[in-house]
Parts: sequence; C-alpha cells; structure tokens
Amino acid sequence: MLVFGAGRRLGTTEAIVDVDLSAQGELITVLGPNGAGKSTLLRCLATVWLPDSGSVLIDGLDPRHESDRLEIRRRLGYLPQDSGLAESATVFDVVDYLAVMKSVGRNTRHPERWRRLEVMELLDLVGLAEQAAEKVGSLSRGMRQRVALAQALLGRPTLLLLDEPASGLDPEERARLRSILGERRRRATIVTSTHLTDEAEYSDRILVMAAGRIRFDGSPARLAALAGGKSWIQSTRPVDGSTRTFWETSDGRYRCLGTPPSGAETVEPTVEDGYLLVLNP
Amino acid sequence: MSGNLRPPPAGPPGPPPGIDPQRIERNWMAISAELFAPQPSRIERWLRRLSVPPSATRLMVATPALRRAWFLALGLVVLIGLAGADSSRTREDLFALLVLAPLVPVLGVSMAYGTTADPAHEISLATPLSGFRLVMIRSAVVVACSVFVLAVASLLTGAVSPLAFGWLLPALGLTAGSLALMTFTTPRRAAAVTAAGWVLAVVIARNGSGDPLAAFTAAGQISMVVISGIGLLTAYQRRDRFDLLTAST
Repeated sequence: MLVFGAGRRLGTTEAIVDVDLSAQGELITVLGPNGAGKSTLLRCLATVWLPDSGSVLIDGLDPRHESDRLEIRRRLGYLPQDSGLAESATVFDVVDYLAVMKSVGRNTRHPERWRRLEVMELLDLVGLAEQAAEKVGSLSRGMRQRVALAQALLGRPTLLLLDEPASGLDPEERARLRSILGERRRRATIVTSTHLTDEAEYSDRILVMAAGRIRFDGSPARLAALAGGKSWIQSTRPVDGSTRTFWETSDGRYRCLGTPPSGAETVEPTVEDGYLLVLNP
Repeated sequence: MSGNLRPPPAGPPGPPPGIDPQRIERNWMAISAELFAPQPSRIERWLRRLSVPPSATRLMVATPALRRAWFLALGLVVLIGLAGADSSRTREDLFALLVLAPLVPVLGVSMAYGTTADPAHEISLATPLSGFRLVMIRSAVVVACSVFVLAVASLLTGAVSPLAFGWLLPALGLTAGSLALMTFTTPRRAAAVTAAGWVLAVVIARNGSGDPLAAFTAAGQISMVVISGIGLLTAYQRRDRFDLLTAST
C-alpha cells in the first residue's frame, strides 16, 4: 500500500493534507483526536473516497480506474466508523448479504453452501454463532460491532481497514479483537484507527494524526521514547509554563509532561505520554 | 482376575488416528451452517421458486428499505391498475392515473439505493460489486415488479383500454432519467426533480393542445424512449458516481 501526498477536502476543511504512507504486512494504528482526519484517510484507503490531490496505490492498483478499484475491493475488508447495520435483519442475513456482495464462494462447486459456511465460521470467530438468528436490533453495541467486524473479515482480505474497531467493546471483547488482529496480521496489512492509546500499544506501528497531517510515524516504543525524561510526578499542582499538560493521579499527586524542573521525579514514559507530547509540541 | 489393559486416558478421546482435527471442526461448522443459520425469508423463497439465483434474491430484498420500496411500488401499482382497468373511465379520468403511474418506479428506485435506503451503504461500496450494477439490478426489480403487477391486475379485472398502458414507456423514461440525475445529486432529490419535471411537461402538453392525454400520444411515447436511452447512457458514462461515497449517494 502506497500513499503519495494525498489530500482530501470536505467542504472548506482540509480533512487530510499531504499524507505519505507505505505499508506491507503489518498492523498500523492511526491515532488522533476527533476530527484529525483518521476516518478520511481510511475512507481513501477503502476506495470509497478518492483523494483530491496525490494518489493511493494498493498492490500497484490505482482506485481512480474502475477495474483497478473493483480489484482492490476484492482484497479489502472494511469496517467504517458507522457500520449502519439493518436493525430488523438477522445477524446471519446481514453478514450473508455482504458475503454475496463480496462474491464469497463464487468459484466453488457449491457457492451458497460455501458462503454460508464462511459466514458461520466468522460469526463463530467473533463469538456470535449462537446469535446468528437474532435480530441486529436486539444486540448490544459491542455485539453489533462484532457483527460489523465479522463482515470485514469476509473473503480473507489482504488489506483490512478498521475504523474505531474497539468502539463499544468491553475489555473481554477487546482482548478477542486483539487476538483476531494478531492472528490476521501474519497474512494481511491491517490499518485501524482509534483515539485510545492503550489500543495502539499492540500495533507494529503508530501514526499520530492531527489537523489532517501525520505528526508521527513509528513504533509504539519510539512514540513512548519521545517522552523520555519529559514525564514526571510532583505533589503540587504545576503552575509554570514549562509543563505542557498534567493530570491529577489517584494518590493526589500530579503526572506532568513537558520540561521537568530540576530534581523532579521522572517516570517511565508511556505511549500516551508520547502521543500527548506529539499533539502539544 | 488380572489383565494387561491400560487405564483409559483422562479427558475426551481425540480424533481417530489419521484424521485431521481441523477438518472435523470445519465439517461440523458446515453442518452447523446448514442446521442453525436462519432460512431465507418468504419473499426470497418465492423469488427462488421463480428461478431467480439465490445470490440475486439476497441483493434484491436484503434491506428493509428495499422491501419497503417493493411493497410501496406493488401497492400503488395495484391501486392504479385496478382504477385504470375500469373501461367506463373517460380520458379526463385516465389523466391522473397516467401522470402518477410512471412515478411509482421512480419513487421505488430512489428508495432502493443510497445512504438513506441501505444502512450498510458505505460497507457495500467497498465490495467488488459495481455500484452501477447494483443500482441497475434493484431498478430492474422495482420496474419489473410494477409492470408485472399491473398486468396481472389488469387481466384479473377484465377489459382494459390500451391507453391505460400509456404509462409504461414514461415509467421507463422517467426511471432512466432519475438514474442519470442520481449521478449528480442524492437519489431522493433526483426523484423529486424528475417528478416535478414530468408533471410540468404533462400539464404544458395538456394546456397547449387541449387534450388531457396529449403527452401520451405516439410523439410523447417516442420522446420517452429517447429519454430512456439518454438517461441510461448518462448513468453508464457517469457510473463511477455509484461506486463512491459522495453527496449523491
């Protein structure tokens, strides 16, 4: 996957600006605040939007050409931020409908049986096989998100794009998601987006986006290392301008980021520390 | 009495030697898929009996909006068909029917595609099924359904004036025109513009000639064939717009 100088405007706002990215066979997490351009980038990669400037190439295919675009989509699994599943349809029917659109089982001797098998396997993978006949409208938010994840995995995609996949998931479901992504990263390039730094820690690479631009591109360890020596604890509320950001901890002390005062008690930096420093340079 | 039998192994027995456990699991999943996955809906089963391929039936009736579009089209056309089948009606009476009937498939098509019609529209855009192909399948279903039901209703109610079928070509023309407009704006706006343009054209033709059915003469029907061709050609040439998430979806 290659992205060269991609830009996309939404009305008068530049949603992404001059984005460069290359990736192959890794799990990338796009991290950023709301409105940073994460979803726009994923939509451009999913070929549902074309960039206004620059280009996106996936396996050498250019989505501006119809035949290339459809070929890319054969290799793609996409979970948009708002997956919008039909509430009155059953879990099975929703995934099966999208399996038809993805031509799952098309070149097999028994296409329908093959398709139904793959749908059930994926529902089993996300822990919803027993809910196959239930209406989507009766499911919790986390369960709906798992239905949406199941459809994204249809057809064994080699490029998996997941916009806020952990949204609405409880800790146990998030662990299941990490396990699924961990297993899939061996045979696919995976790009996910989130604004939760703890979700990003499990990826091979983190992109930090703000105001449509990529501000950081590297491993979680490298992002954390940006805050090395710039993260400290103190017992009084910081008042000087050298502290970029701070928050009160459970023991009543203050965790601070920025330029520490002399003699400060520095602490091991986290991915979140690095992320906050990238956003507040 | 003593023997040399070994005690049974703890836990459940594994698969017989030489059998791949993954294969057993997959076979079990295949059986589960057939046994426990919900069966197709009544409409899907009905369509399959008419030899429509299973994958096509799923695309036709999958979303509630599609089913609503179907039923709306069916209901309206049945009403129009029954009313039009009354041979004692005058040309003036037929005017309202002939103006409204072609708008039924236009309305149905506008309800069968796009973000407001299909909750999973963004996901479906990212699949290898061409958006143009999908919208054409759904449009064909709505139009075919409308024509079929009108024909059946007409046969059931006895003699029908040929004029009562005067809506058929306008329906095709307006549907094609609406599809072309959908590449510029949202499906609902496209339908609204098409409907407004159609009513205006019919009223102008009526007032200009004094004949309430002036728009449904041979010249009017031929112009609808031309509009069908231009509409479909425009929609085809701009088919990229059905493949992308834009304001027009």
